[in-house]
Formats: sequence, C-alpha cells, structure tokens
Amino acid sequence: MPIETRKLTSAPSILPLYARAAAPLVPGASLLPFVPGGGGEIPEVRLELDGVRADPDAVAAYARVCGFALRDHLPPTYPHVLAFPLHMALMSDGSFPFGAVGLVHVANRITQHRRLGIGEELALRVQATKLAPHPKGRTFNVVTEVRVGRQIAWESTSTFLRRGKGDPSAASGEAFPTVPEETPASAEWRLGGDLGRRYASVSGDRNPIHMHALTAKPLGFPAAIAHGMWTKARALAALEPRLPDAFAVDVRFRRPILLPARVEFASADDGDEIDFTVRGRGEKRSSRHLDGRVKAKTGKAK
Amino acid sequence: MNPETRRVAVLGGNRIPFARSDTKYAHATNQDMLTAALDGLVDRFGLAGERLGEVAGGAVLKHSHDRDLTRESVLSTRLAPETPAYDVQQACGTGLETAILVANKIALGQIDVGIACGADTTSDAPIELNEELRATLLEANRQRSTSGKLKTLARFRPGHVVPRIPRNEEPRTGLSMGEHTAVMATEWDLGRAEQDELAVASHKNLTTAYERGFFTDLITPYLGLERDGNLRPDSSLEKLAKLKPVFGGPEGTMTAANSTPLSDGASAVLLASEEWAKEHDLPVLAWFSEAQTAAIDHVHKREGLLMAPAYAMPRMLDRAGLTLQDFDYYEIHEAFAAQVLCTLKAWEDEAFCKEKLGREAPLGAIDRAKLNVNGGSLAAAHPFAATGGRIVAGLAKQLHEDGKGRGVISICAAGGQGVVAILEGPEGATR
Repeated sequence: MPIETRKLTSAPSILPLYARAAAPLVPGASLLPFVPGGGGEIPEVRLELDGVRADPDAVAAYARVCGFALRDHLPPTYPHVLAFPLHMALMSDGSFPFGAVGLVHVANRITQHRRLGIGEELALRVQATKLAPHPKGRTFNVVTEVRVGRQIAWESTSTFLRRGKGDPSAASGEAFPTVPEETPASAEWRLGGDLGRRYASVSGDRNPIHMHALTAKPLGFPAAIAHGMWTKARALAALEPRLPDAFAVDVRFRRPILLPARVEFASADDGDEIDFTVRGRGEKRSSRHLDGRVKAKTGKAK
Repeated sequence: MNPETRRVAVLGGNRIPFARSDTKYAHATNQDMLTAALDGLVDRFGLAGERLGEVAGGAVLKHSHDRDLTRESVLSTRLAPETPAYDVQQACGTGLETAILVANKIALGQIDVGIACGADTTSDAPIELNEELRATLLEANRQRSTSGKLKTLARFRPGHVVPRIPRNEEPRTGLSMGEHTAVMATEWDLGRAEQDELAVASHKNLTTAYERGFFTDLITPYLGLERDGNLRPDSSLEKLAKLKPVFGGPEGTMTAANSTPLSDGASAVLLASEEWAKEHDLPVLAWFSEAQTAAIDHVHKREGLLMAPAYAMPRMLDRAGLTLQDFDYYEIHEAFAAQVLCTLKAWEDEAFCKEKLGREAPLGAIDRAKLNVNGGSLAAAHPFAATGGRIVAGLAKQLHEDGKGRGVISICAAGGQGVVAILEGPEGATR
C-alpha cells in the first residue's frame, strides 16, 4: 500500500489533540471512529508541513529552560519541538492503533547534518514505522525529517513502547554504551518541582505525567516526571561547546526522574565520541535516568 | 622581568549587529551576546580548541548573577576551557580598556594572544530588590531565633515590593548623562545644527561602509539582525530638525537623534604578538601602539562629565611625540554629538588648553573628513561595553585596507573618565 501523504498548511494546535490522545483511556471510547485505539497496525501516513520558521522568542525561552546559550543557530534538540504538534497529530488520529497518552518514550536519536539557523525556512516530514515486537509489549518509531531546500539537514527517530503482552524472544535492543559508574560526575543538577510545567510551556508537550503529581498519579507515577527530551536537551546543553557542527546523538531513556530531584551528569569523551549519562546522586549512582552517545559526523550532508 | 616590550597586533574582530533596546535581542542576556560575539571570532580565526593567554571582557549593566560573565561566556564557546578570563568595568570605557589590558600583557611578554570583548543589554537590564526589603531579609537571616526572624520580617511593607530599576544617572550628582552633556553643550555654546550634522554624517558613513562590504568580516548576524538596528540610511537634516529636544529643557539642542539610543550588543577583538600572528598565518591589521586613561573631577571642580578624553589625549600625544594633526583617522565615540563637538572645541580653545591642560598652544583643529569615516555610535548605537571593540576592530581594518597610516580612538565614560588609544597601519604609520 502506498504511503498516504497529508500536507498541512499550519502546525496543528496541540491541546485538542491531547484530548483525543487521552480519550482511549476512557473505557470503550476507542470504538468511536475519531478516537485512536482498537489495536491493529500503524497507518502508513506521512505528515508534511512546509515553510516552518522558529520564533526567536520561543527559542530564547526554550534555551533558557534547557540551559543552552541563545545562539544564532537552533539548539540541536529544538526541531523536535517544532515537529511535536505533527507527532501528536499523527498519534491522535482516529486510525492510530492506540492513544499517545500512556506510551513510553524509550529512545531518541537525533542526527544534525548541519547547524540550522534560527531564521531558516524548514520543511518538516513526520511518519511512524510499523510495530515491532518487544519483551514488554510492542514498539514503533516516529521518524522526523527537517529539510532545508532539498537537503535533509536534521532527522530524528523517537522510539515508543506500548506496554502489553510482550514477546520474550524479541531483542530488547542492541547493547547501548553507558558511562561507567565509577566515572565522576561533572555536574549536579537541582531540578525544581515545576520543571515539567516549565518545559511544557516552551515545548508544548503537556503530557499529564509531567505537569503535576495529581495528574501523574492516575497514570502510575508517584510524582510528576521530567520530560525525557528535556533531560536530553539539558545534557546536550552541558556538552554544547564540545559538540561538532554535524553529529548524531542517541539516547536511551531509563528510569524516569521524579520531580523535584537532584541528579548527576557525567560524561566520557573519546575523541569522536562522547558518552554521557544522567543518574542518581552518590549511592543512587547505579540508578540511571538516561544514557547517551554523541558521535561526530564527517563527510557531506545528505 | 623582561625589559623589552613587543609590538601588539590587532588581528581582527567580530561583533553582532547592535539592536535597539527591546527589539531583536530583547530575550538575549549579556552572556548570550558575548558568547555569540566570541563564537563568531573563534570561527573566523579558527580558534576552536586553542588555549589563549586570556580573555578580558565586561559589561556596564551587570546582573549580580553574572559574576565572572566573561569566564562563563568563554566556557560556552569552543575556545579551550583552559583559557583564563576576567571581567572589567569602567563604564563606557570598558571595551577599550579591555583591549589595553590584553595589549599590555602581550607587550610585556606575559601572554602571546588574547581577546578583548564586551557586551551590554538595556533590554535584559538588572532590576534590584527594593533596598529596604533587601536589608530586612538580610537582617532576618542574621536573627537566630524564629521569633526574632518573624519580628524582623514583620517590618515588611507593601511598598517594599517595588523594585529598584537602575537609572542612567551619576551617583554623585544625580544628573543623567544626557543632562550632564546638556550642561557641556551650553558651556561650549553648541548649536543644534552642528549636532544634527554629525548625526547625519554618522548614518551616512555607516550606510556607505555597509554598502561597500566593510563589515563582512567584522559582523556575524544574530537573531535575525544583519545590520545595526539603529541605522537610518535615509537620515537627513530636515528630518532631524523636526525632533524635540530631550535634554537641556525646551531650549535644549540635544535630541533622540543626536544622542545614542539604549541598545543591546557585543563585540570582541583578537590581539596577539607578531610571532603568534606569524605562526598562525594571520595578517596583522594594525598595531596597537599607545593608550591613555584620564579622569576629571566632575563633582567639586564641576568639569564637564564627559570631558576626560580631552585631558587624556595630550598626555598620550606627548608620550608618543605626536600632534593632534598626525592622524589619518579620528574615531571619537559619539555618546552624544555634543560630546564629540565639545571635545573638538576644547582642543581648539586657547583658554581651555592653557588653563585646563597647561599647554602654551591649543592642540588645534582636526580635518573633519577623517572623523568616524565608517560611522559612529550615533548610527550604530552604543551598547556600552561593546563600543570599544567595535571601534578598535573597525579602525584596524581601515588601516589594513590602507596599509599604512595612523588612527586615534577617544571614548568618554561615566564617572568623569576617558580612554584614548592609537593604532598604526601594518606597514607603519607614515603614509
């Protein structure tokens, strides 16, 4: 079946999408045609949005919350924010097999082929891949491309886990490098109880698990948890002066960070590669929240 | 200690375009802008990973949380983190003073290369806690008992939530810089037209410099700004004549056009020894050859607040064995058109030169065609600590274009201070 392409003329507005994304949590709602759910396969739909320009004031607010300096190019994680409304639209479509609220973001890989200028006109392409078996359920990827003209300048793959009947024989993913526990931390971060709300206001990601303990509890978390993409952005901000212009950064989201929190950041630089981790402090070091690796990209952009 | 001093080379500069307050850089901090200016310099001169001798920088309006602003900015760039840095603060003289500090260390052989830089924002200005509230909180903190703490905190009054917003005023006179300059303008009998003419020339010269691509390797665009936001290419005497005075009362001659606006920006200049420049295969744009700082007593002796450069200049010229006419370029910072004109008049004035400067003859007039040839602060705007770097880099580039020649810089500063310096062309001063 060919991929259905839907061209959008403006970024979808996020809040109504959340209502639909959360609707499958209401028993029986998935039987309605406009509510996602009902299982089945992921629709082969590609969403496209052209003529996107980052708003410098919004970039400034995002940079402040994540710890980036406000430069003339976008923070490497920022295109994810630009594409987020498309992710939501994709996953809250009536044909989507399950609701976005309740999915677990387990991994994200960003490849920045070159720096994106704040004023550059970007074209976004978002599509989801087929379901794959996982020991704890099933996973799928949401793939985002950012083009400038005809060139792919930035791309990302977010992997989501839909918890459910797993396939114990499925590989849980390749071994992922981690910073050894004995590597001393380079920084300690104090994360406020309002971090989820602050990041929500600059990213648009208002998933209830990040907003407040009262909204996180019904979804199984004792407190609001930090956004995985904030944690990734904060880590890249800490590494910012060492990041090359072109690089790939792959992360695995491990244990959620319950807010407020004090966590450690540690990294190990090996020339072309930088491994990093966000983990508990002191005795809780073995409890890792995020593992990541930055790899310089050489050669021409695609 | 090394008894020999070395020549100091200006290798280039970089700045972000200057923005009028609360426009394009409304959400940028001093650290963001300084980092952006340094980033551009690092890229342009391939300094990524280099450990430099030092980076001296500063800002005039600084938040208390911007402790070690320059060092923190360096850590955000691709310079080697082992590059030391420190902050300087000398009002509007900050930028040029950082260049003098770095140059002197290079001349003495203490370092081989360094960056002089500065940034200022009036958009992201510091707002202080109400002074009484601050005192109350500190006092409560000193109380040991809970009841003592509560008793102290009970002194809190609703009026205490009104913060203190920094004002552009002299602490000892209570007058703003504009008001001080209006007094100078009256003393030196300045007319409105000559001030407006200087403003128009500034816009015209800056526009021409942009058009001939002069700033291509001096400026890196930032946050959607490619040229200075204050530049008005269509500025004219007729338009300026319509403006109402903003300082000196209804009869005043100073307007929003012949005074610099509040603005945001940052600049950086790369200085090095001749050997370092050679090793890195970088051409010398100019030699940083002389500098002088002076101050006047604007409080008790009632000297014009911004007249200190008039005093600094002859001291420097005497040391260098030069006259005021020995220059191909005069870069006089246009804080206000009136400041420039008062300074020029003072140098021409027999009584001033005799009584105040103790000289037998006046310094004399300059050829006005050589004044701020690539535009000045009235057109580019004046983010306080960033102005020195803008001028040093621009003059150095101009001297490099000519090959030979000599230029002088004069910058007035709050607190009755002034900073002047001389740059010489790469092949020497004589044309």
